[in-house]
Amino acid sequence: MKPLLRQLATAFRNLRGRSSLIAGILILAFFCLIAVFADLVATYDYRSQSRREPMAPPSSLRFQDAQGNWHPRPFIYARRLVDPLERRYEEDTQQRYPLELFAPGYSYKLFGLFTTDRHLFGVQSADSANSVEAPRLNWLGTDGLGRDRFSRLVLATRFSLIVGPLGTLLASALGILIGLIAGYAGSWVDAVFMRAADVMMALPTLVLILAARAAFPLELPPARAAALLITIFVVLGWAEMARLARGLTLELCQREFVQAAISIGCSPARILIRHILPNAARPLLAQTFLMLPAFLLAETSLSFLGVGLQEPEASWGNLLADAANLTLLERHDALPILAPAFVITAFVLGVRLIGRGLERFDEPFTTQLSKTAKSA
Amino acid sequence: MLKLIFYRFIQAALILLLISFLVFVLLVSAGGDAISALQTNQQISEQTLETLRRLHGLDRPLPVRYGMWLGELAGGNLGQSIYFQAPVWNVIQPRFWNTIALAMAAMSIALAFASTLGLAAARRTGSLADRFCDLSILLASSTPRLVLAILALSFLARTSLIGGTATDWQTGTWLLRLLPPAFILSVPLIALLLAQTRAAVSARLKEDYVQVARAKGVSERLILVRHALRPALNPLITTFGSSLGGLMSGSVVVEQVLNWPGLGQLSVIAVRSRDVALLMGIVLITSAAVLFGNLLADVMLRLNDPRLRRENHIA
Repeated sequence: MKPLLRQLATAFRNLRGRSSLIAGILILAFFCLIAVFADLVATYDYRSQSRREPMAPPSSLRFQDAQGNWHPRPFIYARRLVDPLERRYEEDTQQRYPLELFAPGYSYKLFGLFTTDRHLFGVQSADSANSVEAPRLNWLGTDGLGRDRFSRLVLATRFSLIVGPLGTLLASALGILIGLIAGYAGSWVDAVFMRAADVMMALPTLVLILAARAAFPLELPPARAAALLITIFVVLGWAEMARLARGLTLELCQREFVQAAISIGCSPARILIRHILPNAARPLLAQTFLMLPAFLLAETSLSFLGVGLQEPEASWGNLLADAANLTLLERHDALPILAPAFVITAFVLGVRLIGRGLERFDEPFTTQLSKTAKSA
Repeated sequence: MLKLIFYRFIQAALILLLISFLVFVLLVSAGGDAISALQTNQQISEQTLETLRRLHGLDRPLPVRYGMWLGELAGGNLGQSIYFQAPVWNVIQPRFWNTIALAMAAMSIALAFASTLGLAAARRTGSLADRFCDLSILLASSTPRLVLAILALSFLARTSLIGGTATDWQTGTWLLRLLPPAFILSVPLIALLLAQTRAAVSARLKEDYVQVARAKGVSERLILVRHALRPALNPLITTFGSSLGGLMSGSVVVEQVLNWPGLGQLSVIAVRSRDVALLMGIVLITSAAVLFGNLLADVMLRLNDPRLRRENHIA
């Protein structure tokens, strides 16, 4: 048995030439980090409103002040709402507010364990004795209620990253289970499950998800909304996976090793789990990665259409609802409003890159890993 | 072939019946109905609400309502939409054609783009076309329609290229308004079709009969189109069939964002207003479209591939 470190080193060497896989994993890892440390990264509580600053533009980080002097530490100026109707802002260049790392802010629980009030970025008043409150630091500006867009986007990652992937995982698991059973049992079990799958596949999914969601009260706490959405996804999303798993099972059942397992009297459960499932794992995994964006986007679409997660909670979908507002788009800088759109695209791109990296190579990453471990 | 079509029609009828029952139960047991939206209105008494419910038959038990709905359907009537105060078919019909037009346009764009680029990429691996194809597949498959629709909206809002309301469209404006949603709908399809075309055609080009054709001196273009493309069409046809139905229901978000008056937009209205008859009509029509797409693909597969015709597969 090789020491773990050297095993990891060989595994790492095998990653060469898998640039898309690595890029995908890096992107997803970044999103996971953001989701875990969401409160640390966010500058303000995503629900806290600052009514004096609706639709504020992004704070511009400066190194050079109005007098033309350069400062090593970036700073922002306070801004003032000069025209409440047009929502125009002007910068007040009297006072600089330097950027601060790990600045104090609202308190939260890191990992749900430690209470802390540190945030990655913040601004401080120039001199602490001064009673003037520091201006808010809005990387992406504020929305119509003066809530910090950046913080909302960061916190939204949590909800969207739980509902989509968890829904995919559970739906895949159910689909694989049904597919394995249907493929192995054959006869009427197979017929019943596959006709059911046909029905599910013929259903207009999004319309049905809409209808199913509409069957429940719109205002739900985030945890229950997430549970509801995941349930709907699982109930409606198993069919495709079941079909694939069934086909693979039928194919594998003809192979000698399965026949051998049957002949020595292995129980069906053992055959399915020990012999068929591992050999079907690769296409099933690839299919899971294909399904993931669809589920993620279903959640986004639902929240976008106003039947997913409700305000003031934040999800990528209901943040995008702002972006579909024509008057906002016409009057204001579009980029910060469209930021959620880019974030979603980046995430889906990461998933696709992983999927592509998986299918590029004939041998699955995991078997290659175990092979290198064995050969040495 | 006729036997296949006949069997498929019977199967489709049964599936539609099952779907209609499931959706009906789901919608009716949801709690709240088209009338409950009026509840917040102070001027409408509880009694009026009850009368309205009785008028529309909303107070009857579920099996009775489903039976009534089925009875009407048997008579070729989809029922009455409470929200629009009109027969469901009259509400659906114009929007149905709009959605069909959108789906067709998206499908044509995707097919045209995917077939040309796919063929060009399949000719030589590692060529410029191949790499461009790689990139397009990745980008097209990872940009969600919702995002595209919103980007298009923000772009169109700035250019004010198109305006006006749905009622005063001229034919020119209609076409102009059709294009953005059609392009957006076609994007994920392009990724799918492109990947399949390239994989299938390049696999065929490695076959022995292509070598024979080359040895005979058949021109490269003819080989590509006649010898490689035709057998490679099978997976494309399957995708075409299955995405035809998907285009009908997949356009909900795009139609909603870009304000295209089709079935997708209508279904959002129907869900929000709890208009059961209307939603049932939409679900029925879109499901039928999915089933029809699958049937169409099967028929086309048999036309394209003589081997399938000989087998007597019906399932």
